[in-house]
This record gives sequence, structure tokens and C-alpha cells, in this order.
Amino acid sequence: MKVLELKNVNKIYNSDEVKVHAVNDVTLDFAEAEFAAIVGPSGSGKTTLLNLIGGLDMPTSGEIIITGTNLSKLKSSQLIDFRLNNIGFVFQSYNLIPVLTAKENVEFIMTLQKWPQKERDERTFELLNAVGLGDRIDSRPSKLSGGQQQRVAVARALASRPKFVLADEPTANLDSKAATTLLEIMEKLNHEEKITFIFSTHDPRVVKMAHRVITLEDGKVVSDVKLE
Amino acid sequence: MKEEFKIAWRNLWRNRRRTIITSASVFFAVFFAVIMRSYQLGTYDHMINNLIESFTGYIQVQHVKYQDNPLIDNSFDYNDSLASAISEIDKVVSVTPHLESFTLASSGTQTKGAAVIAIDPVMERNFSDPESKLVKYRITDEAVTRLKHAGAIPDNVLEKVKKNLGRSFSSSARLELELGLADEDNENCMPEILKCTEVSNGFLTANDEGILVSDRLASYLKVAIGDSVILMGQGYHGVSATGIFPVRGIIKIPSPEIDNKLIMMTIPAAQKFYDAEGKITSLVVNLTGKSDRVLKTVKAKINILLPDNNTVAKTWYELNPILYQQIQGDSQSGQAMLGLLYFIIFFGIFGTVLMMVSERKREFGVLVAIGMQKKKLKRIVTIEMIFLGAIGLVCGLLASIPLILYFYFYPIVLKGDLANMMEDWGWDAIMPTAWFGPYFYWQAVIVAFMVVLATLYPLRKIGKMKEIEALKG
Repeated sequence: MKVLELKNVNKIYNSDEVKVHAVNDVTLDFAEAEFAAIVGPSGSGKTTLLNLIGGLDMPTSGEIIITGTNLSKLKSSQLIDFRLNNIGFVFQSYNLIPVLTAKENVEFIMTLQKWPQKERDERTFELLNAVGLGDRIDSRPSKLSGGQQQRVAVARALASRPKFVLADEPTANLDSKAATTLLEIMEKLNHEEKITFIFSTHDPRVVKMAHRVITLEDGKVVSDVKLE
Repeated sequence: MKEEFKIAWRNLWRNRRRTIITSASVFFAVFFAVIMRSYQLGTYDHMINNLIESFTGYIQVQHVKYQDNPLIDNSFDYNDSLASAISEIDKVVSVTPHLESFTLASSGTQTKGAAVIAIDPVMERNFSDPESKLVKYRITDEAVTRLKHAGAIPDNVLEKVKKNLGRSFSSSARLELELGLADEDNENCMPEILKCTEVSNGFLTANDEGILVSDRLASYLKVAIGDSVILMGQGYHGVSATGIFPVRGIIKIPSPEIDNKLIMMTIPAAQKFYDAEGKITSLVVNLTGKSDRVLKTVKAKINILLPDNNTVAKTWYELNPILYQQIQGDSQSGQAMLGLLYFIIFFGIFGTVLMMVSERKREFGVLVAIGMQKKKLKRIVTIEMIFLGAIGLVCGLLASIPLILYFYFYPIVLKGDLANMMEDWGWDAIMPTAWFGPYFYWQAVIVAFMVVLATLYPLRKIGKMKEIEALKG
């Protein structure tokens, strides 16, 4: 079942009279529970593509359809709600809310979705235990290591059971051990929760664990390989 | 909402030092604004109490021409039923008749122009209470000699007494204050000083034919109690007014200008003297409320009660336009100062907001990216700003309360040149604070306005924010 379709997506930036074709006629689709990596050299358009998929940016042309909804047809506030209910984000620099504890950060999306407290608590503990931070629920981000913060970010992204999770270079700021642990957790959650994961990455460890690798060059898809 | 309050409160303390500095600046602005305004309004109230409540009253009923031409010809018939009807109006404390005119006062070779205020000695107790102004203590050469002979008075105390030679006082407290003795000297010497300087005095009875003379005028005319003063002037419709009046008492008026020229007598005596049977020049009305609204309401009600178009009710500021303008001018300059203070504080708050927005641009982007509606984010920032203003505001108001209360009940008593200057203006030389009123609550409105104004910036930024750009930081 397709959860995401990109049809002839283009993104062109106009700066100082120079046109930059960041994403060039990309057509892709992703099925439920995929574990896909988008790779390519710096400037190849990975992050731009991820931002377009996440509705953080709008394509110059083409369509992005997520579970039947065309993102370009949504108003700004509808798009925010759509992201809240369908997409989880994991950022390179974690981007947890610094004034909230690990538990509160994970709970945050569910609070926005108005989940009952009991269900929020159950889901939060389940996810924090799954990412190995069941004993750090009351720690604020500043008291956690980079790896731990990124694990909280993954738990947050999965909290409301989104259709898919977009992770932009999630291991870039982590040491080898922390990166491996994080990837194992994500793979496990992908398997258990049947949530699609799409990474943009340079990290060969991510590529090694991915079930599908999409290579971009100059904004174009040059290869799309399923490894299973 | 609970979640929004929690995040806003925690955000506030992310940069503890900056929050404390910003709150402290609001605190000091509110504190000083309240205290300054309270002193300013308290001084006006005091001035109004001194001059208005003792002389003109809050509202006067006069002949329509009297203010422009204050002659006894522009008097009107006193009517008990009118006074009673005015007394029934809500907020009216007292209604007191006055007959005011001018005369020449003469004793021996001394003659001087004097202002005559004729009163009802009983009713006047509820208004200017001249009895409380009777001279009770006077420092004379005789009194100093008696003090010297008493032996128990140290030289330094005697020197201080001599410095006030020739002065009169209507209360022991005022004498004590003017001498400014050390606590120990005060305790040991005051009973003796009061004993040696005490003078006997008298007051008017209801139909008395005698007069009260102000202290400085009495000194000029060289009259004391029991002496007689000849008054000569023009009576009603140009008749000649002459009479000889025994001095019943000497009164001390704080304002030297008035103390130099005041004679008080009973209304029947004045009506006889001026040949103005049944006439008065004003009905003085005192009120409990002092607001503009109360004044206007009572004035309108009195005007309805007036029997003809020859009489009219006027408020104290219509009767004292110069004093009113002086108060207005001073008040406006005070408000301008406070405006300047708040203007500076506003930029302090705005600076904090600018830094906050700049530091948290990326965070705002993340919050919207993961699904927080911008209106919710705006609410959090607004709550944060309200907290920021409210902490300083509430602390500033709370801190000012004890000071206002203390100085309301125990005003600062001025001494020296400043005190003399204030007395020259006709004020008692004290600086009380004003009781809590709109000026107090207005600080909350001003701070709220500043916070709202400063909050517009982050709200606009959030409204226009593009997530993709905000995420880049």
C-alpha cells in the first residue's frame, strides 16, 4: 500500500538571478513500513526533497500525495495539522524542546492531538523504554547526551503513530556507538510499528541497514535500489 | 491551556538572569511611578484640603456676577430651606454660609486693608474650623525671659526658642516641629516651653459682635484680645460701613498672605455692619467625593434647586482657575516624567523580546514543523510576555503599598526653606501620599499596554514565519 507518492516534483530556487534546480523531476513512491535511505553528495537535494515530503516547503511544480492527500492543496494551518497527524520528524540536531523533560517531549505531540492522559502516559513509557531511556524520563534535554537526545527525538516522532517518519541526517552528530544503537532502535520500531522511515544521510551505517536506497545527484534520482 | 502555561512559565526561566533584569526594570518603573504619582496626587489633595476645604469649598453658590466682581452688592438672600435642600444631596458634607467683603481696619495709628469673612461660628466648625486655628502658643521676649528664669532649659534649647521669637502657633505639635529639638531635649524641655509660651484666646459665640483677627494683622495693628478695632468700608449699595469691634481671639493662618489681612466675624454682625440684612455672598458646599464626576453631578443638582437665575453653583476649579491650571500643569509634567520612565522601560522589555525571538527562531520553526499551530505558539509567547510584565508589575505594586500607607498616615514633614516656601503658597508644609485610586490601577494598564505593544513583534514574526527558513536558524 502506497503511503507517499511524488509525481514529477521540481524545486527551483531563484537567487541572485541564478536558478538552482534543487529537485529535478523526481517521481517516487513509498509503501507502508519501508526503511529507505536517500543518499547523495552534499548539495544533491536530499534535505530539500525531505522538506518537500514533510510539507515544510512547497514544490515549484509536481505533486506530493500522502495517503491520498495532495499537500499543495492544503492551507497553511491544514498543512500543520496534516503534519501533526501523519508525519514524524527527526532532525539532525535533535531539536527537542529544551524546557520539557524527556517524557514531556515525547508526550508533546500527543498533547497537541489531545490524547487522554492515561493513553499518553502508556505510549510515552512504551516508547521511552523501547529507546532505552525508561530511567531518564524526567531529564531535560540539557542533561542528556547527543545520542540520548536523538533517541528521545525518535520516540517523539513515533509517539502519535504517524504514517511515516522523516529523518534528516539523524546520525550526523552521533558517535559510532550511539549511531548504531539509534539505528537498531529505529529498525526495531519500523518493524514493530509498521511505520515507514525515510532518511537523508551520508552515513554508510544507515545505508547498510536500509531496505531501499535512493541516490540523488544534482536533484535527480539516479538510482533507486531495493535491497531486500 | 495548562500545557501552554507550563511551557510559557518554563521558557521564562530559561534565561533566568535576563528575566530577572527585565522584571526588575518593570518593578522599579512601577514602584517609582506609583510612589511619585502618589506623592504628587497626595500633595494636590493636601493643597486642595488646605485651600479649598478651608476657604472656597468644593462648590459655592454665588450671585452670578460675584466671581468677576466680588462686591457685597453682588450678594444674595440667605435661605435656610435652600441650605437644607443642598445638605440632602448625596456626597454633601456641609453647607456653610459666608459673607465676604473688604474693609479698612484701624487701631491707634495703624490702619490696613483687610478681608472680612463672616461666618456662622457653629456651622463653620464643619468647614474651616477656625477654632482650631486660634493661637495657643507665642514666643515673646517675656516668654523667653520666663524660660531663662525657669533654669532647667539648656542654652542650646533656649537658642532654638529665641530663633523663633515673635512667632505664634496654633498647636503644640507645630511648635515642637518648628523648634526641632532632639528627642531628649524635647522630652525634658517641652512641658516648660509650652507652659511659658501659652497664651489665652477666645472664640466667637453665635451672635457675637466681636471679631477674630489673624495673627500677623493683629501684630501690625498692635492689638490683643480685649482691644478694639475700628472697621471702615463700603456697605451694601454704597452705604458707609463703620463700626468698632472688640477682639475676641487671634487666629493663625498657615498662609502668610492671608494671615496678614484676615478678620472673621459672625454673619449677623457683618450684615449689620455692611447694612446687608439677610444677605450672604456665598454658600460653601463641602463634599466627600472629590472626583470630577461627583463635582459635576452635585453642581447640576444644586443648580436645579436654585430659586432664580441670579445665583449659580460653581466648582472649586471654576472659582480658582489659576490654582486649577497650576495643578493641571504640574500633574501633566509629572505624567510626562512617568511617560519618559515607561518609555525607557519599554525599550528594555522590547530588547528582551528581540533577543528571545532571535534566539528561538529555530525552536519556533521546529514547533510548527512537528505540528503546533501558529496560533497556539502565539498564545504561549503572549502568556510568556504577560508573565514577564506581571511579575514586575505585581511586585512593584506590592512593594509600593506599605510605603503609600505609611506616608499617608505619617506624611513627611518639611522644614526649613522648603517648608517656608510651601507656607508662602498657603500649604501646610507636609508631603502626604494619596490614597489608592485610579493612579494605582493605571500602572497595570500601562504595563499591560507596553507588554501588548512589545508582544506584537514576536506575534508578527510567528505569523509570517516560514518553517523551512526558521529551521535553518
